[in-house]
Amino acid sequence: MIDDLTAAREQMELSLSFHIVFAVLGVGMPWLMLAAEWRGLRTGDPRWTALARRWSKAVAVLFAVGAVSGTVLSIEFGLLWPVFMARFGSAIGLSFTLESFAFFIEAIFLALYLYGWNRLSPRVHLLTAVPVALGGMASALFVTTANAWMNGPVGLVTGPKGDLVATEPLGPFLAPTADPQMVHMALAALMCTGLAVAAVYAFAMLRDPAKRDGYHRRGLAAGALLGLTCAPLQVLVGDWATRVVADVQPAKFAAMESLPETMDGAPFHAGPFEIPNALSLLLHFDPHARVVGMDAIPPPDRPPVAVVHWSFQLMAGIGTALLALAAWALWLYLRHRRATRAARAAVSGSGTGVLAGRTGGAVHPTDRRVFLLAMVAAGPAPFVALLAGWIVTEVGRQPWIVYRVMRVPEALTSQTGLATYLYATAVIYLVLAVALVAILRRIARGTTPPDPAPTTPVRDEVPA
Amino acid sequence: MSAVDGLGLVIFVGLAAYTVLGGADFGAGLWDLSRDRAQRDLVARAMAPVWEANHVWLIFVVITLFTGFPGAFGALSRALVAPVSVALLGIVLRGAAFVFRQYGAPYGGAPVRGTALWGRVFAISSLVTPFAFGTAAGALAAGTLRADGSAGLWSPFLAPLPLLAGLLAVTCCAYLAAVYLSRDAERIDSPALVARFRRRALGTGVVAGGLALAALPVLPPALGVELRGVGLPAVVVSAAGGVLGLVLLWRRRHRAARVAAACAPVGLLAGWALGVYPWVLPGQVLLAESAAPPVIAGPVLLVLLTGLAIVAPSYVFMLRVLRAGVD
Repeated sequence: MIDDLTAAREQMELSLSFHIVFAVLGVGMPWLMLAAEWRGLRTGDPRWTALARRWSKAVAVLFAVGAVSGTVLSIEFGLLWPVFMARFGSAIGLSFTLESFAFFIEAIFLALYLYGWNRLSPRVHLLTAVPVALGGMASALFVTTANAWMNGPVGLVTGPKGDLVATEPLGPFLAPTADPQMVHMALAALMCTGLAVAAVYAFAMLRDPAKRDGYHRRGLAAGALLGLTCAPLQVLVGDWATRVVADVQPAKFAAMESLPETMDGAPFHAGPFEIPNALSLLLHFDPHARVVGMDAIPPPDRPPVAVVHWSFQLMAGIGTALLALAAWALWLYLRHRRATRAARAAVSGSGTGVLAGRTGGAVHPTDRRVFLLAMVAAGPAPFVALLAGWIVTEVGRQPWIVYRVMRVPEALTSQTGLATYLYATAVIYLVLAVALVAILRRIARGTTPPDPAPTTPVRDEVPA
Repeated sequence: MSAVDGLGLVIFVGLAAYTVLGGADFGAGLWDLSRDRAQRDLVARAMAPVWEANHVWLIFVVITLFTGFPGAFGALSRALVAPVSVALLGIVLRGAAFVFRQYGAPYGGAPVRGTALWGRVFAISSLVTPFAFGTAAGALAAGTLRADGSAGLWSPFLAPLPLLAGLLAVTCCAYLAAVYLSRDAERIDSPALVARFRRRALGTGVVAGGLALAALPVLPPALGVELRGVGLPAVVVSAAGGVLGLVLLWRRRHRAARVAAACAPVGLLAGWALGVYPWVLPGQVLLAESAAPPVIAGPVLLVLLTGLAIVAPSYVFMLRVLRAGVD
């Protein structure tokens, strides 16, 4: 049996990981759903409406699982860390209070959306998705500020009994890492959702070429557009977040960069490579600037380096790879668009335009096997990065539960036998995950609207 | 009245809302334990759009409790580990199982493997959760808990009052659900289901009243005194609501019965809250002493009241749209 502290930490890690993976989909999917329904209404294209309906079923299931696993977290805080909650519950309370209302709004309007297809006018129905999307995003951001407070508590003063008392209701929003953490989390949720959705359609197209139709292309395009647009932004925000961490949490930063000693002209590590002076240059725009290393941190206050460092490298690596994928996808798209336009011009100009055939730029990106394979691979990637990022945030904060205020062991409950809870939680979450995936796969099946019959010769159907 | 008192009141309102709305959903889950397809469909139809919003009341109560009364939250978390863990297990399984059951066959045809099993898990976890919450409330009232959890992990389950309270909670949920479902059955013009749920509402209503009376002799003396004093109005509301609910059901006034039926458990809850007050854990933790500093309590109360002012009309709007007519 593992000891109670380890069991409690692992249980928190397990519940958070489970929640975050499904919750980001619950946060991101409503935006896709909203966009698809809006396109469907504007263009009258039934394929967009079909996508919105299909996605709303997935949202219903994901939202339910996200809701109950979120409930587990809020109660688990007390069951596992009662000392932390008893002392600082009110300090992070406003974040959660706001979150509960965002959640109420999301639940109420999601019910209207899911069960109101035939009861509301199309326009009003579309509008009900707006509070769902906003509420889901807001609840994720509010919760993230509570984490930011744990990484940089503000508003604590010494009370009459010598203990620390929370005096700033807005503390979580004023925490130094709150802003980058919120933006980073929001983009992560959208990236995960977009790329997961795109991967589903890419996988279907790979397995069955008949599925390279308008419906699946639209599904892939919507997901890829959302996920890949966020990719370059996320690189910038990640850079911002890293700078803030370097400023306010030097121990975490030293672990992220695996910097044992404070030095001038620190090198930058990217996987197995080391670039001299690059870290100093990146951080302070000066190749000889001083960067604080782990030796500046007293030994009892040091986080574990290896886990934090490799998680950070993994996250940054995936971020970079997705940036490259975004650039490639954009290039393929632009090339294809130019080629189709040229073909159209040729057709309308001569009447019997002669094309170079389906070579080069005329090939739709989804007709390229390599591109589809890349999109499939890019589906799970942001989730891995998301979890790695949370490991950086959480393990990098160790040994503190509230940075420089309360250590993790101090917060632990006196209840023993926590390993039993851990194993029970692991079994239940495994069963739920398996069942959930089976149901999402079933939702993804089912008939899809066919492409409309072409009225004018376009693209592939150009007469020879 | 200070902001801290206001927070206490908001928590009670949230608890009452969860008891009635969430309770009816758990009760509906119990009535899902049936071979009759039409009955299960009615349960699903009634629950599907609302259960998540109703469930948020629990999250709301937990959050308001740890924001407004962090000390009380810490003490309750330690004293009630076993019932809260069991309830949590029930909540996770109930919610997940319900949605898995609902979407097992999203386009008709044979459902995903295990869907029938999830249906059973849904019904059973709907029984376990209110029982666990009931025992927690009973154990608090019994006054045997310790703020550091030293009274023993399973002690909240091992006394007559908590066990009675657990059964009472389950019966109340079943009763509320039966009353609401009899009205829902009227709405879909199914006389057979109306008659069945009316019968069940009458039956569970009588049993719930009996259990509430049976709990009186096992109440700790101090609580009994409180219930004859400050708690008396709550007891009267509960008893009157209970009797009136049964009378209205008997006369087939299902619409009006819904309101009366809700009064019975809310009155019971109010009696419990007034009886335990000013303590959270009787003899151990005072509510006022575990409160957040006023500088936090004030703004939080403001946010809570503003939030409720937005959420309540949205909820009513949602009910109106989804209850109007048949799709």
